Amino acid sequence: MEQRRTIVIDPVTRIEGHSKITLHLDDQGRVEDARFHVTQFRGFEKFCEGRPFSEMPSLMARICGICPVSHLIASAKACDALLAVRIPPTADKLRRIFNLAQVVQSHALSLFHLSSPDLLLGMDADPAKSNLVGVLEKDPALARDGIELRKFGQQIIERLGGKRIHPAWVVPGGVSEPLSGADRDAILESVPEALAIALRTMEWFKGTMERFREEIATFGNFPTLFMGIVKKDGGLTFYDGDIRITDASVKVVADGLDPARYFDYIGEKVESWSYLKSAYYKPRGFPDGIYRVGPLARLNVADRCGTPRADQELAEFHELQRTAVLSSFHYHHARLIEILYCIERMEQLLTHAEILDKHVRAIARHNALEGVGVAEAPRGTLFHHYKIDEQGLVRWANLIIATGQNNLAMNRSVLQVAKHFVHGDRLTPGALNRVEAVIRAYDPCLSCSTHALGQMALRIQLLSPIGEVLDEVVRS
Amino acid sequence: MTQVLIVGYGNPLRCDDGLGWSAAEALSRSLPFPEIEVVVCHQLTPELADSLRSADIAFFIDAAHDGQPGELSCEGVTLQLGIIRSHQMSPAHLLALAQQLYGATPRAFTVSLCGECFDHGATLSSTVETALPKLTALVEGLIRQTIAQPCC
Repeated sequence: MEQRRTIVIDPVTRIEGHSKITLHLDDQGRVEDARFHVTQFRGFEKFCEGRPFSEMPSLMARICGICPVSHLIASAKACDALLAVRIPPTADKLRRIFNLAQVVQSHALSLFHLSSPDLLLGMDADPAKSNLVGVLEKDPALARDGIELRKFGQQIIERLGGKRIHPAWVVPGGVSEPLSGADRDAILESVPEALAIALRTMEWFKGTMERFREEIATFGNFPTLFMGIVKKDGGLTFYDGDIRITDASVKVVADGLDPARYFDYIGEKVESWSYLKSAYYKPRGFPDGIYRVGPLARLNVADRCGTPRADQELAEFHELQRTAVLSSFHYHHARLIEILYCIERMEQLLTHAEILDKHVRAIARHNALEGVGVAEAPRGTLFHHYKIDEQGLVRWANLIIATGQNNLAMNRSVLQVAKHFVHGDRLTPGALNRVEAVIRAYDPCLSCSTHALGQMALRIQLLSPIGEVLDEVVRS
Repeated sequence: MTQVLIVGYGNPLRCDDGLGWSAAEALSRSLPFPEIEVVVCHQLTPELADSLRSADIAFFIDAAHDGQPGELSCEGVTLQLGIIRSHQMSPAHLLALAQQLYGATPRAFTVSLCGECFDHGATLSSTVETALPKLTALVEGLIRQTIAQPCC
């Protein structure tokens, strides 16, 4: 009987949410297929049906404890479309600052708390040390920088929104309160230190890259499309713009696409083995329409950042590969550039003459029965699409999240890493960690604030075609 | 000048699990000292080590699950080395983190009331609501004592 065997990694650790990985081996013990399964189910699109649309931003923010602000922003923008209003210019700027602050804290969490153990201690480090403690022991200054940078972002969110997690300050039509002069000054005062942390972390990161040549070559290093929103001039934006899609040779495949018409060009496929849908670019079909979103994609599709230090780093970033920057290992690098951009851009917005204006909300009842809101979340482009009835009650909702858009690429990346690092029917800790690390590079957000990161047991099973356990590794 | 940190944590949408938030908010209204930083949060995270850096005394207020509903307890926190998890930190872990990162060693207490109801809801049970003033009075007393005798 032909022997096909499977290795199961369940759950995947140091990511946001619950998932497992299965590696399928051929009868020679070589990896022939890999799947990244998302095993949690939330159902937000369904249980918001029947609720007043004005509740949607607060309801949708509960999707996630890491990136609630992105859901607030995309949801509020969808509600703006239902109101059919143009929000006041100051509210627009305040929402942008809010979103940028979240990108900083979320990217800092991903880079410092989740991935820095791999980057600092190496992929083959003792799993017992590959965590915050290991970072603390090896480089306490790096750990301090991570904590302080994340706190910088969180404090801005708190100052604007009233609290760090699930703030309800962003509302349909704008924001609920203007920014005070004292809060503006306090934020501006903290900018230089945040910028200094970002710059020295960038130097540290670039210094480590030489050690990861093999990972750079094998961590999702393949051609795909890239998607993100860009400004009219092709500049990086996290709040408003048109969709641009480029390919692996940096050729623009589609530009100026209306985000509100996402359903014309984005398809979603449901797989029986995962709760996470796989998005694809419709004109190329499934799975050839594979595309990536998030930091790597944004920096591949954008012509410029529009702030001095970030633009300097972007020019260097674009030199990393002759084509588009394809390796998903470079998500880390892109994240750091975006942190720089966000800090610089927030400073620009906070010093704008109108930023303390008191008119921050447009009031209206619903004037349209359908609305789409799009923003760039830390992990990529986020779509919220609602349909309501004449009473303003939600009748249908569709969300396309960044992690779903990266799902095809994550699966293919796991396969590439496994083919390179997993040999035979035994797993080494280094191979296991690399399979997980390539997922971490995407920083998938499988939701929510309630998981016990670092505490989850990790179980890998090597199964025969008839389900016999050939090998098992358990990490607690 | 004595620096005081009050951290109220828990889930304010699960009735008595919101005790930390209610207590911290009550204390922030009633305490007349400017050198107090009050933080409310769902859970303890590494960033709080930065707040501990400048504190002389810290209070971690949370609901307890085991015991008689409304029962008040206050215990000193002993620094705990070992594995620090970024998503599930205890006050003892946070103290260890603050010491490792900043050399900070504030006196710290966990203060709790045993909850009666942890169901969905944004209000405290009447038992915990009634007992809340005992908790705030205890914390206020410890703060006054520390300010009066800063070297203890």
